[in-house]
Amino acid sequence: MVDRRYRLTVLPCGLVLFFLAAPSFLPRYYLYLIGLILITGLLATSLNMVLGFGGMYQFHHSVFYGVGAYSFALVSMKSGLPPAAGYVVAPVMAALASLIIGLITIRLSKLYFGMLQLSLGSLVWAIVYRWYSFTGGDDGIHGINIPEAIDSTRGVYYFTLVVTIICMWLMFRMVNSPFGRIFQGIRDNPERTEAIGVNVKSHQLVGQVIAGTFAGIAGALFVTVEGSVFPDLLFWTLSLELIIMCLLGGWYVFFGPMLGAAIIVVLRTFVGIYTEYWTLVLGIVLMLLIYFLPQGILGYFQRRPLSEEH
Amino acid sequence: MDVTAQITVSSLLQQILIGLSRTTILFIVASGLSLVLGVLRIPNVAHGSLYMIGAFLTYTVASVSGLESAGFWIALMAAPIGVAAISFFIERGLLCHLYERDHLMLLLFTFAFTLVFGDAVKLIWGSDYRSFSPPDFLQGAVVFGTFPFPRYNLFLLALGPLVALGLWWLTNKTKIGKIARAAAVDREMVGAIGINVSWVFAFVFVIGCYLAGLGGALVAPTQNITQGMDHAVIIEAFLIVIIGGLGNIWGALLGALIFGLTDAVGILIIPQFAIVLPYMAVVIVLSIRPKGLLKSVW
Amino acid sequence: MLEVKNVNKAFDGFQAVSGARLRVEKGRVVAVIGPNGAGKTTLFNLITGQLTPDNGQILFKGEDITGVKPHLICRKGISRSYQVVNIFHRLTVFENVQIAVLSFQKKSFHWYAAARKMAVAETRTILKSVGLADKADQISGSLSHGDQKVLEIAIALGNEPQLLILDEPTAGMSPEETGLSLTLLRRLCTDHGLTILFCEHDMGMVFSFAHEIMVMQQGQTIVQNTPTEVRSDPRVQAAYLGGADKCSA
Repeated sequence: MVDRRYRLTVLPCGLVLFFLAAPSFLPRYYLYLIGLILITGLLATSLNMVLGFGGMYQFHHSVFYGVGAYSFALVSMKSGLPPAAGYVVAPVMAALASLIIGLITIRLSKLYFGMLQLSLGSLVWAIVYRWYSFTGGDDGIHGINIPEAIDSTRGVYYFTLVVTIICMWLMFRMVNSPFGRIFQGIRDNPERTEAIGVNVKSHQLVGQVIAGTFAGIAGALFVTVEGSVFPDLLFWTLSLELIIMCLLGGWYVFFGPMLGAAIIVVLRTFVGIYTEYWTLVLGIVLMLLIYFLPQGILGYFQRRPLSEEH
Repeated sequence: MDVTAQITVSSLLQQILIGLSRTTILFIVASGLSLVLGVLRIPNVAHGSLYMIGAFLTYTVASVSGLESAGFWIALMAAPIGVAAISFFIERGLLCHLYERDHLMLLLFTFAFTLVFGDAVKLIWGSDYRSFSPPDFLQGAVVFGTFPFPRYNLFLLALGPLVALGLWWLTNKTKIGKIARAAAVDREMVGAIGINVSWVFAFVFVIGCYLAGLGGALVAPTQNITQGMDHAVIIEAFLIVIIGGLGNIWGALLGALIFGLTDAVGILIIPQFAIVLPYMAVVIVLSIRPKGLLKSVW
Repeated sequence: MLEVKNVNKAFDGFQAVSGARLRVEKGRVVAVIGPNGAGKTTLFNLITGQLTPDNGQILFKGEDITGVKPHLICRKGISRSYQVVNIFHRLTVFENVQIAVLSFQKKSFHWYAAARKMAVAETRTILKSVGLADKADQISGSLSHGDQKVLEIAIALGNEPQLLILDEPTAGMSPEETGLSLTLLRRLCTDHGLTILFCEHDMGMVFSFAHEIMVMQQGQTIVQNTPTEVRSDPRVQAAYLGGADKCSA
């Protein structure tokens, strides 16, 4: 019990304190990097809600991320509303997208579910990619306005930090709630879960909407930090990279995806200094991971011995 | 009035025929993917990368060998074999140890190859795109009535059914084809009756990847050979396989037809959003028949 | 309490169940026996909603539950366990049962409360009654086979059922484990007033525990009667028992 409390309170608190103090001693670029790590970690954690804790083959999660990002961008630049409204519209649109896509895909399971989601997501990408007049097409949208109150390096940084912490905390509560337990039950044994009185499909749909909503928030944060959107945010390769992050950190552990995201973002940045062949490095890392550490880093250190998958 | 109607009809026909010739390439690529997915149950994301490598290899062999027209034909033979060789080493060296893992892990592993190959191509061929023209024999156009039809597309149009028949013969009439189909349904049973399932899988995987290389070789003269080809084609190939039915060759043909035709018609009707039509067709098909139009192997 | 009337189910032309009949009175223990492939598991799946009958009727406490979905069947007071161990292997023993209780308490959508602190008393009670209280924090996937089968039953108890349907509850168990399970099931019947419907191949267990036996063969109900009557029924002897002296009491 002491061990658990140490892991859950002292360690994260220490990290949070570090993050809070960071602007006083870290240069701008590192603050940007931390912001990116937090956003990517938030996104990966939202994916893991349905992937690792739900057992669903979420092949195209980045659609919801992209929908959130584009919603914020379009609200900020093309609607008459103040940019702050984007922080409400983005999650709502992402939730809507995950609800619609979810309703269509949820009837299927496993690989079929994943591939149908992939095709629907690609449809969204195709529309965004070609609708030049509305979304900026291949060029994307740049120089996006964010609310004046946070329009500074420190402002953006603290805003991202606070929103990420809140979202992570909410998702943590969810995973450890009755809903979370039952969701994991669905992952391990959907038939049995149904037999104990749970409407599996409706719970899965709710899970999809939750995951999509938090992805949308991450999308809005991305625009806040980056100031731009582009169709790549909706492309399938990003979705698979997110899955890699969850795998790397350990997808049966709550903080696994965040750790995975941190490692990947940091690696990508620093490998990128020495070589332009980062993708090659990532590919090799992934192969090693699958061969030797499929339970991920935190999965390896977890006290619970997990029994073999069927 | 009459003249415009004629032009529209003939341009529609022309577009459809061009779409059909694109179908050939889509079919060849998708059928390879479908084979691997159906028999080995591996969603091979690297299939697109092998297609790209096939295209680049064809370019190199055809233009660098300096043999002009003959160069293309040599490349058409050699490039897919080169791709098949690469796939053989991947399968025997790395992939075959992972067959017991679930789909997601296998998909991720092949995605790792997509990443590696993507950079490998950049390393070897650089970041610029390549292009070259078809051999003289296949250049230019043949005039059908009122519109010209590119010779190369005719070649593709003729090739499609040939490949389809060849694959059908391979999977249904040869011994190894029948064993492969049995292994797709029940690999343990096939192993239990004394057949080396491992080599059957290797064979099917290599054939599937050969088809990817062949598709790449055939597409090489028709468009710019770019570093993004792999990402673009794999989505299309997967969608075709899904709507056709996993492991079903005729399904791949049907899916490729739907894809090619909706794309062609789309270019005519709504040029800006032509790319959206095939995806919409896929969504509609999957909403009605989630497991594909034709019977899947599993 | 439970009545199955002339239920049929065919799969791709193969008639798995045809004209099956079953009556289970409240508080009784009824066993379904029959050779492999007789349709016992199919019949159970039809009752609990995993399969829908082609025709026929299934009544529970007078209410028509034919074709009702499994999760709703559960809410009506029917619980089942499975032939092949069907637990939540990555969760602890405690969590396995707790999930069932939480679902019964209709808290499956509660997303904010900490599950750790919920339904603890009810879960511990169930674990104690099946004898798994001391293994509560073990990962269920690491339990012995016998313990996993007991956990199967414990999960089924989570929703306070009135009718418990058990598919081969002692399959793969050692004689010692079988004896313990039998004691447990007897206790559940007498102390908690549970109605139990089960199928088994262990004839010793069946004849000593069941109040009534229903015999199935090739998807059909041959007879349903008390153990003594069934043992001496010539149709049953011919179809399954192969002679009265083949079974031990």
